[in-house]
Order: sequence, then C-alpha cells, then structure tokens
Amino acid sequence: MAVINRREFLQATGVGAILAASPRAAFTQMVGPPGPFSDYRALVCVFLFGGNDSFNMVVPRSDAEYNVYATARQNLALAQGDLLPITPITSDGAQYGLHPSMSAMQTLFESNRAAFIVNVGPLIEPTTKDQFANESVAVPPQLFSHNDQQNQWQSLRGQEPSKTGWAGRTADLLRLNVANQQLATNISLFGNQLALAADDTVAYAMGPNGPIPFTGFGDAGISLERRLAFERVIGASYDSPYERAFADIQQRAVQTVDRVNSALANAQTLTTVFPDSPLADQLNTVARLISVRAQLQMERQIFFVATGGFDSHDDQIQDQPGLLENVSESINAFYNATVELGISDAVTTFTQSDFGRTLTSNGDGTDHGWGGNQLIVGDAVRGREFYGTYPRLEIDGPDDVRGGRMIPTTSADQYAATLGKWIGVPDADLEHVAPHIGNFVERDLGFLI
Amino acid sequence: MGHRVIRSESTGSLRGTRATAGCLALIALIALAGCGGGGGYSGDPADPPAGPPPPTPPSQAELFQFLNQATFGVTEAEGQSVIDLGFEAWIDRQMQQPASLQLPHLRSLPRPQVVAQLQGDRIDVWFRNVLWGPDQLRQRVAFALSEILVVSQVGALQQAPYSLAGYYDTLAQNAFGNFRDLIEVITLHPAMGVYLSMLGNQRPDPSRNIRPDENYARELMQLFTLGLVDLETNGTEKLDAQGDPISTYSEEVIEGFAHVYTGWTYAGAANFNQARRNDTNQTVPMQLYPSFHDTGPKTLLNGVTLPPGQTGVQDLQDALDNIFAHANVGPFIATRLIERLVTSNPSPEYVARVATMFNDNGDGVRGDLGAVVKAIFLDAEARSTATSTTSGKLKEPLLRLTQLWRVYNARSANGEYRVRSPSAIFGQGPLQSPSVFNFFSPFYAPPGEIRDAGLVAPELEIATEYQNTVLTNFFYSQIFRYNSQSPGLRNSDIVINIDEEVALAADTDALIDRVADKLLAGQISDTLRTETRGIVDQTPTTDAAARAAEAIFFIASSPEFARQH
Repeated sequence: MAVINRREFLQATGVGAILAASPRAAFTQMVGPPGPFSDYRALVCVFLFGGNDSFNMVVPRSDAEYNVYATARQNLALAQGDLLPITPITSDGAQYGLHPSMSAMQTLFESNRAAFIVNVGPLIEPTTKDQFANESVAVPPQLFSHNDQQNQWQSLRGQEPSKTGWAGRTADLLRLNVANQQLATNISLFGNQLALAADDTVAYAMGPNGPIPFTGFGDAGISLERRLAFERVIGASYDSPYERAFADIQQRAVQTVDRVNSALANAQTLTTVFPDSPLADQLNTVARLISVRAQLQMERQIFFVATGGFDSHDDQIQDQPGLLENVSESINAFYNATVELGISDAVTTFTQSDFGRTLTSNGDGTDHGWGGNQLIVGDAVRGREFYGTYPRLEIDGPDDVRGGRMIPTTSADQYAATLGKWIGVPDADLEHVAPHIGNFVERDLGFLI
Repeated sequence: MGHRVIRSESTGSLRGTRATAGCLALIALIALAGCGGGGGYSGDPADPPAGPPPPTPPSQAELFQFLNQATFGVTEAEGQSVIDLGFEAWIDRQMQQPASLQLPHLRSLPRPQVVAQLQGDRIDVWFRNVLWGPDQLRQRVAFALSEILVVSQVGALQQAPYSLAGYYDTLAQNAFGNFRDLIEVITLHPAMGVYLSMLGNQRPDPSRNIRPDENYARELMQLFTLGLVDLETNGTEKLDAQGDPISTYSEEVIEGFAHVYTGWTYAGAANFNQARRNDTNQTVPMQLYPSFHDTGPKTLLNGVTLPPGQTGVQDLQDALDNIFAHANVGPFIATRLIERLVTSNPSPEYVARVATMFNDNGDGVRGDLGAVVKAIFLDAEARSTATSTTSGKLKEPLLRLTQLWRVYNARSANGEYRVRSPSAIFGQGPLQSPSVFNFFSPFYAPPGEIRDAGLVAPELEIATEYQNTVLTNFFYSQIFRYNSQSPGLRNSDIVINIDEEVALAADTDALIDRVADKLLAGQISDTLRTETRGIVDQTPTTDAAARAAEAIFFIASSPEFARQH
C-alpha cells in the first residue's frame, strides 16, 4: 500500500514550496506522531441524525433540579420515578438519572465503563448568554439548522468553509505512522460523511454488513477477464471531473472488497448477540472488522456508524423510548463484543448528534436546539463521570439562548481534541483536528485514559 | 443490418475515433427519417411531423443531451419527436400533456389493501409513468421538484401511500404552473403537513411552555424557497460591508412563520385534537380550525409584520406572499432546478438568465415555472455540447436505470415494475429520501479536485463504493439474467429487449456500435471500445445473448454512461 499520494508527490517535486503560501501551509507544518504505533486503537462515532433530545436522555433526578426540568418540559417531562439512577463519582450537588429505556447504559455507567459529556456543542470560543445577545463573540453560522450543525460537528470549521472533517484530518495526521494499513483509517458504514473527509486519506464506505462483492467478477476464466477489463475501463483517463470521481470510487470498490472479505471470512464467530436494528448491524460489522485488524495490518481506525429518526418535532413521547433503547442496547452489545475480543480498552465508542433540542414543547415534540449531552463508552473511558457542566434547564434561564436552547459550556472542539489525542495526535497538532481548541482552556477534557 | 449511414458529426468533442467512422444505427437513422430519408428501422413508426422541420436537425449528441436532461431517457420515438418539432416546440407540446398520475391507480386497486403493498404499488406506478408516460418533460420536472420540495415515505408517512401518491401528482400537475400556487398547494397538502409537522400545529400555550412547531417554518424557507443567505440574481452570495454573507432570516422570523402555520389539520375532522388520518383526508388539503390559530402579530421577512386578529387563511396567504416576494426565490429555485436537470455547476450568468425569467416571464408574471423550465432547457449553456470542466453532471442512479430501461424497452409480462427496496439498490427511491435534505445535498463536494476547485457534485454523495457496487450488480443481473433471450422468465420479471444486439452479435464492432448508439450517443471512448471488444471476443459466437449482454453491461456500467453531458 505504499502508494505515493498527491501531497507527497508535490513535496517530492518541489511544488510543496508553492503550497507554503496557501491555506494548506499550516497543514504541511504538522508535527505528526513520533513513529509507528506499538498498539491498536479505534474510535467509533455513533451519529444520531436529526438532533437527539438528550436533556431527556440524562435528566436531573434530585427534587430541586427535577422541578426546574419538569417546569420547563411540561408534557414532555419524564416522570421522576421512572429515571434510572446514575451516580457520578464527582458530584455537582444534584442527582441524575437516565431515560428509562437505557438500562444497559445505566449498568455501564455505574461500572465505570461509560461517561457523559454534558451540554456540549459547536462553539468557536466560550460563549455566555450576554455575549451571544451582544454578538460580542463569534459563534458557528446557522445555528439550529440540521445540515449546518451536522457539518459543524463533523468539520469543526466554524465560519470557514467545511471541506474536511475532524476525523479525516486526524487520519491525515496519522497516515505516515500507519503506512502498512490495508484499509483506509476512516471507514463509514453509513454513506459519505464530512467527518471523514480529508486532504490525503480517502475514506472508504461499506455497507451495514460490510463490503459486497461484484457479481460477475471472479478469479478465473471469463469472470477474471471481465474483472480485469472492468478495472482497465475505470482506470482510464476521463474528460470530466464527474467521470473521474465516479471511476475513482469504482476503483476503490473493486480493489478493496476482496481484501476485506477474505479477512472477514477468517474472522472468529462472536457469541455476543446484537439487537435487530440497522445500527446494531453496523456495530456488529465494526466488531468483526476489528477482530481481523491483524490480517489487515490496521493500527488506527475511525469508524462512522449512524442511525436517524431523532428529529422529534412530533410524537416524541411515543418515539423516543425506542430510539434511545436502540442506542443503548446496540452500543452495549458492541461494548460486549469488544470485551469478547479482548480489545475493550482500545476501542472507544462515542455519540454525536446535530444538536440538543428546545426545552419548550410544541405540543407533542421539540424543535432544534444547540447544546446537548453525549455518551462515551469503553474501558479507556474514565467512567462514571460527567465532563462539563450540566446546565440549568430553565426557560429564559442563564443557559437559555432563546426558546429553551442551551448554550453549550463545552465545545465540540474540546470533545474531538480529546478523542484525537487519545488515538495518537500529538498535543501540538490538535489545532488541526479541532481548529478552535486554542480558544478554550482545557485542551483535553480528561475522559480518556 | 443494411441501414448503416454515414453521418457528419456537427459538434462536440469526440473521445473515440470510431464515432466518425460510420455508425449510428438508432438515432442517426431517425435523423435521416426526419429529413425525408428512409425509415425501415424496426421500432415504432414515427409520428408525422407537426409542422415544417427545423432547418438543422440536432446531431445525435445534441439529441441525447437534450433528452437525458428533459426526459427519463432516450427512445427512438422521442428522438423523432424532437427532430420533427425542434427543441422549443417539443417543450411546448410536452407542456400541454396532462400529468400521468399515481393516485387514481392506487385508488383503483381492489380493497382491502395492505399499506406496505400500496407503497410497492406507488413505486410500480412511478416507474410506469416515468418510463412510458407521454408527459416525459412533466414527469422529469416533477421528479426534480420531489428532490427539492421533499416529503418521504421514510418516517411519519410510512403508513400513508395515498398521501404520498397524491403529493407526487400535485408536483406533476403544478410543474409548469406558478411557483406561488405550488408552494401553497404543498403547504396545505397533508403529506407535507405530516412530514414537517404543520398538521396539528397549534397556537402557543405559555402556561404550559408550549409554542408553535418551527419545523415547516424553517424548512420551507431554508430548503424550498430561499436558502440561508441572501443571494444575488445570479445565485452568488450577497455580502455585507464586512464581506460576510447575510442571513436570510432570524430566529424571530422563523417563530413568526411558525405562528402563521397554526390551526391546520386533516379536513373534515370533528375535533382538531382528535383528527386522525383516513383514506380520504390524507389526499385533500388541510383545513383551518380557527380556534387553534394564533391571532397575535407575526414577524415575517423584510421587516413585514402581520397585524393581529387576521384569520388563519389570511395569515397564510400573506406569509406565502411574503416569502414569494423575496428576491432569493428566483435564483434559489433556478439553481436547484438547473442542478437537478442540466448541470451541477451552472455559470452565474446562466442562473441569472433563468432567475430573471422567474422574476418576470416577459408578461409581468413572477414565478411562471413553465417559462423557467423552458429557459433552463433552451439556454445556450444547456444546449452547448462543447465539453468544459464544469458542464453536465453525474447522472443520479435512478436515471441511469430508467435510461437503460427506456432504450431497451424494459417490460414485464404482467405490466408491473416491482422494484423491491429501490433505496437499498440505488441509494434513492421515489419519495424515499432519508430526510427532508434529499438523498444528496446540493452543496456536496467530494474530496479531491472537485472540492478543491470550489465545485459541487451532489449526485456523488450517494455514489459510495458500496452503493456503486450494489448498482453495478443490479445492472449485471438485469442485463445478463433478465433479457429477452433469458430462459425461464416469470410474469413479474422486468426484461430488457436485446434482440437487436443478438442479431448483430457475431460482428463485435457492429454490436458495440449499436450499444454505444443507444447509451452513449455513439461517443464511445477508445478504452471502453477496446475492453468491450476484448471481452465480447472471448465469448463464444455460439452464445449470442452472452456476447450482447457483455457489451451492454460494459457500456452501461462505465463512467461514460454515468455522466450526463
């Protein structure tokens, strides 16, 4: 896989010097990790599309705080007695509980294997309610819009054009250290994702159950000839960038599928039982891929899996239990699979979502908010903790920017920088992962060992 | 074959050398027929010309380019029609064609029906209409609109196939009408009402912290009409004195519109809060229940505030007028339609010409979609066959399928098109988007040269390694296993007719010419010809069907076929 890429080619030919004046200059000055890794690590991003109402996922349980919550949420408030108690080691004075459909996460949290980042969201710099109102700080553009905030979470580009994702930039930073890998560091099981887009590392998208082979291609006879001829067609030069991009994708598809599937054919059979859901299918596939990491010479992997349906403008009371149960049970099964594989301390699973939702109700649902709570699971997690500051869930309160939208007190940059550092990015390079990390005091939220 | 003709190549940069050397059975013959030459091709007889033919018949490349933009794929008959009429008169005639509809078909099916089956019937009738409906242009524009004004089976409309079919029909019926009317009918359509939760939205109740749902208020402006930032007439972003983009609306404006869209639910309900979907109310406009409408003042766009005390109908009319009057609508909808129909990266001048037509059709009418569509297709940028870096686009997967099916006359014995899980196979299906953001974003730019050049390629968002493999396999199966020479076909199998190719199969170059004529306007690259010839020549001449299938598969799965010129 020692394929020289465009940037290396440019540098080798001296063209890199020209790039020094371009926006890529910063990128070419990266430090990079010191050398090959001696271990394996993987990040698994579980993106909850639509905007998870995570103030109904992690909920204040002590009377005073619960009453503030219940007053704000009215007919969407969960019953106090239904909340599943969780007890963070470091208390902020209040007590908390989980949504009643997340008993598996309650167990993982209480056994120190899970934690929450609370009230986290895209920020450019620390932002207070007054600063937001005065417009005296920069904030990400198009707050409360789905695609823009998905792009913020995935790119962390703030007011810059979002061309690459934080995981893609992380993969680029690691790429010289993982030169033997048989697969791209970044793999999506849920289509193209900005989070994985990079300058040099080309992400690979497979199906929820892994790559699928081409029907008419084989190893001998006419099916081999057909495959070779097909590869020559897609390897030809084309007039139009649309054709070239299409042909590149076809080339990666043809060249990758056999390598991955022959490795998976030798994968050990997992005894862990996964739930029956598309998210669980994706996580099951990730577990199988991790189980064949040695065959594929993988040292660092970032997986993207996802599930949708969280845009609960309507019918939230009916729909949210099933959504959160699926998240809880699927992630729990995946965690158990990593235990079965003996790799649970090297695989960290974490959630992201478009935004939290409004505390106010529109009758039977909620609208687009800003900050929210996110879940992290794995044996590298300093578990049974909240990272960040749980907000006061009060309409027009100190954390409410408008209509019950919580201003994040921890930034998505800090979240990503912590993940990036754990997977091997040197501290000096964290700005490339999280461009605004320099605006925040804590570069590492400390949730990973 | 006996009908080979030499055709002079009028325009276009040919990538292969063969295209000039003879060729061109299908469409080239039509071209001659249109000029009084002999027919004799085995397809349907062409309609007689409606008037004097245009002075210069379009070249094969020009015909393919036009029909791939304006229809679901080239057929001999449609090509002949364009030759006879010319582009503009063809468009005029197409606009007179009434819409091929879905809902009457669904309603005609014997009861009782299982909902999942009805969703399949909806897909079936979509294919029937887009493949063989005489209103090709209308269906193509309706499909484009269905990817802009998105509602979807995925989510709350899973159990509402009639509503989805009726919504699609609404798009088809209004495809050439006025945009102001279109946004009103989609606003009040219960499919949209359910999908973006305006249905059942009610006035605020501050005592319970309940305020109106902002879903439709936001997406009607962001995705359907205006976008997030102010636009110049040419579609580029307006900038303020600091050089920054200007937001089209504030959160306060969204709240204002959210208050406008209160008080509506299914028509005919005895009680607003207990309105439930039934077979009939899911296809008729929502009804206002005045006591659930907010009567306060409402902040709209451009500094307009609606006075308190208006009726819900008046508020709605005023609010839609307010959006419709915004200067963004012309460039916004021009850009979206051009992207769906013609090219991913139109020049600002092209957008400006179409937006100007939106703003005034020449008779002082704003929002005339018929005039807009005509301006899109007749524009020099749409009609140029000269290749530039940015011209054309990647075909979306369903269009690659319908183009293959139309030119190979794909039929099932029972007349149905039962495509199970189109979304799984193609990454898209009729009204099956995963969210209101469509199957792909208009802003998607794949990493690499397209992104680096500041261009977009929306369709590439769903062209992943995985999805391309699934689609390539579907094509392989269709072409090798479900063709007119295949044994053991069932009534429901959708079968392409490869008889012409089989008749030519012993002559490899003639076979390749024929397939390239049907799928690539004859413009096959040297590499694709060489590789196709190689694989055909390795297939025994005794297996004519396999030789034909190899040629069709190689060309249909090629990057060349994936590109719309």
